[in-house]
Amino acid sequence: MPPQATSTPPPPAVADACRVTLRFEDGVEKEIEVGTDEFVLDAALRQGVPLVHQCRSGSCSTCVGRMVSGTLEMVRDRALSLIASEIAEGQRLLCSSHARAPSVVRLHYPSALIYAEERRNFEARVAAVEWPAPSVAKLAIALERRAGFSFHAGQYVRIKVPGTDQWRSYSMCSTPRDLPQVEFLVRIIPGGAMSEYLGAARAGERLEVDGPLGAFILHPGRGLHVFVAGGTGLAPILAMIDELRRARGPRPKMLLSFGCASDKTFFYRDEIELRQWWIPQLGVRLSADRVEDAAADLIQGTPVDALGADTISDPDAAAYLCGPPPMVEAARRRLAELGVSPERIYAERFVAS
Amino acid sequence: MSLTCAAPGLAEVPGGRPAPRRERKRRAREGVIMAASERGSSAISASRQYAPYVEADWGFKNTWYPALFSHELGDNSVKGVAMAGHDIALRRSGGKVYALRDRCAHRGVKMSLRPMCLTADTLSCWYHGFTYGLDDGVLKTIVASPDDPLIGKVRIRTYPVTERAGIIFVFVGDEDFAPLPPLEADLPIRITDDANAVAHILDENVYVRGIHRTGNSNWRLAAENGFDPGHLLIHWDNQIVAATDRKLGLGVEPIGEGAIKIIDEPDGPKGIMNMYNTRAYKFIMENKAVNMRARGKNSYYARTSIVLPGILLVEHWPSPGWAQYEWYVPTDDRHHEYWEILVGRCRNEDERREADYLYDNFFEPLALRDFNDNDLFAREAMQDFYARGDGWNRESLCAFDAATITWRKVAARFNRGIQEPPPIA
Repeated sequence: MPPQATSTPPPPAVADACRVTLRFEDGVEKEIEVGTDEFVLDAALRQGVPLVHQCRSGSCSTCVGRMVSGTLEMVRDRALSLIASEIAEGQRLLCSSHARAPSVVRLHYPSALIYAEERRNFEARVAAVEWPAPSVAKLAIALERRAGFSFHAGQYVRIKVPGTDQWRSYSMCSTPRDLPQVEFLVRIIPGGAMSEYLGAARAGERLEVDGPLGAFILHPGRGLHVFVAGGTGLAPILAMIDELRRARGPRPKMLLSFGCASDKTFFYRDEIELRQWWIPQLGVRLSADRVEDAAADLIQGTPVDALGADTISDPDAAAYLCGPPPMVEAARRRLAELGVSPERIYAERFVAS
Repeated sequence: MSLTCAAPGLAEVPGGRPAPRRERKRRAREGVIMAASERGSSAISASRQYAPYVEADWGFKNTWYPALFSHELGDNSVKGVAMAGHDIALRRSGGKVYALRDRCAHRGVKMSLRPMCLTADTLSCWYHGFTYGLDDGVLKTIVASPDDPLIGKVRIRTYPVTERAGIIFVFVGDEDFAPLPPLEADLPIRITDDANAVAHILDENVYVRGIHRTGNSNWRLAAENGFDPGHLLIHWDNQIVAATDRKLGLGVEPIGEGAIKIIDEPDGPKGIMNMYNTRAYKFIMENKAVNMRARGKNSYYARTSIVLPGILLVEHWPSPGWAQYEWYVPTDDRHHEYWEILVGRCRNEDERREADYLYDNFFEPLALRDFNDNDLFAREAMQDFYARGDGWNRESLCAFDAATITWRKVAARFNRGIQEPPPIA
């Protein structure tokens, strides 16, 4: 695009617009004007300030930000994926929020995350499909070596289900180091589009991938890292743990609490035991809501129950949560009780489809 | 010395029944990974159990490596060494050794190629005269541009150095790694379970002499050779064995619990020890299938151990009361610097003269050269298979390789980081 002529005056401020300051994690601040009928996300994109987002309809939670001051009102005519306590804490979905007063919003990712990476469509091929459990598939795909796809551990992509026009979102369970191979954990749902496809998928078949997406990434800090994962929510958490294993400098202490619905469907114990061996700093609690076989060696209950009653004494602790919305919400509450600062609780929730 | 018992550590045979809970806990504690078939259907291969070790083509980082013998770096001299892909310039000034990145910030030449020292506290690049402070690496001046705005702003990184027992050690890895572990953590353990324990290199009144030379193989193939209980075959006819009538055996086979012990000192060395002094190892003296029999009458107590980042200790070798240390310092992913030193006790000049006599006429020619030449040959012979042929996934290990596997697992767990390939390869 040619540069704008310098003689053009700046566009007049929108009548009754409110000034909103977007404060990124790395200290970068951007100011935007948000019109009365405009959503904050749309205003930011219109004014050339890219923000992490995906669905633009209030359901995916990707665009969440924390209101530090001012008034941001979310619309009431959408099924929003924030729950009451999160809204009370100041969290807002920027795709569905209007500014009613000059406001400051803190974003939980660095500006570098969005300026450095370009989301676009990539072509990939199926490399392998494995079955860690009857209800879980591990899908490995290979991207074109020179495609230039890169991501941060914890992010996700959308994959178009071959033979359909449906897209599904999956977090990478592999790390950027493993590129051009990328791996995902897929929860199998009878009749689900991707589930049906994976049952018959063959190596070499083409896939369309859109990404990377999401701001669920590791944040700098040497304090205890608490990871809480339910079911295939383990995927981005594993990627983060593997990333920390290879990170510079001494590793932080880590605690992983991972649970499945039942001992019969529990998966990846061996993968977790491997990490326990490789990472002396990693503590692990494994659980299942229903334990039928006492020899399964699992804590009965949710991964939130399995966190136990020990107060987390590290004032610099951070927590990363991934699982179904009720688990994420329960974990958020429990970790706050245990002493983790709500500002350092990062979450990715997903709904199986 | 704290030694904990380890299971030999080979992967369980697939197809077994799920292990009982207590057994699982024991295995998780000791790092024995169950075969995938015990649970789900995802296969975990043997090599995946120590994947971080397989990743370490360029060695482990954030560790002390020997760079030069003290006598190799005279006052005011500069030498360049490559360790784990780091090019490092060493300069001694006023008796103290400094280590800086051996790449001028200006045009990237190695300063050690043509050393230039213009003041006692700087190192200058021979090309355009960029001159760096020895202690902080900051650009102090440019010979041909004394008022240059870059001065005081540009710097090259420095490395921690310590000089002990006649060896210059450099801490190689991330510049911001903290806290710096003590050198003792990256040296063989102090032996405490032997009435005639060999000396530790940091003891008072030690005699330390040795050599270092280049090995044309990846550092891991070298590290795995020294403590390998099955490799005595390459030594059975060596000069030192014949001359001393030493009963060496054709090999040593682990036959019981406690054959391999894990060394896990708190904040100290991590590695494994072959407990050749116990009945858990059986010395193979004869193989009738090939009509081969080990010779020798003199049998001494001896033991091998290896600790991170790959340091061998052979107790009571090449002679009772002596210890041989070896390092396999990764140079790049295809070469290592093979360090062989002997550590003994020497309380006075008479004893030192006797030790020199033994070293010059016995230890160096027969042990460090003739005997270890066979080891160097073996490591270099493995290089192709592992570098080009994916040997880590194609090897067929046998019973005595339990020690090798246990070492790989311990190294995978306790290393302080895996060295990335350098940007300039």
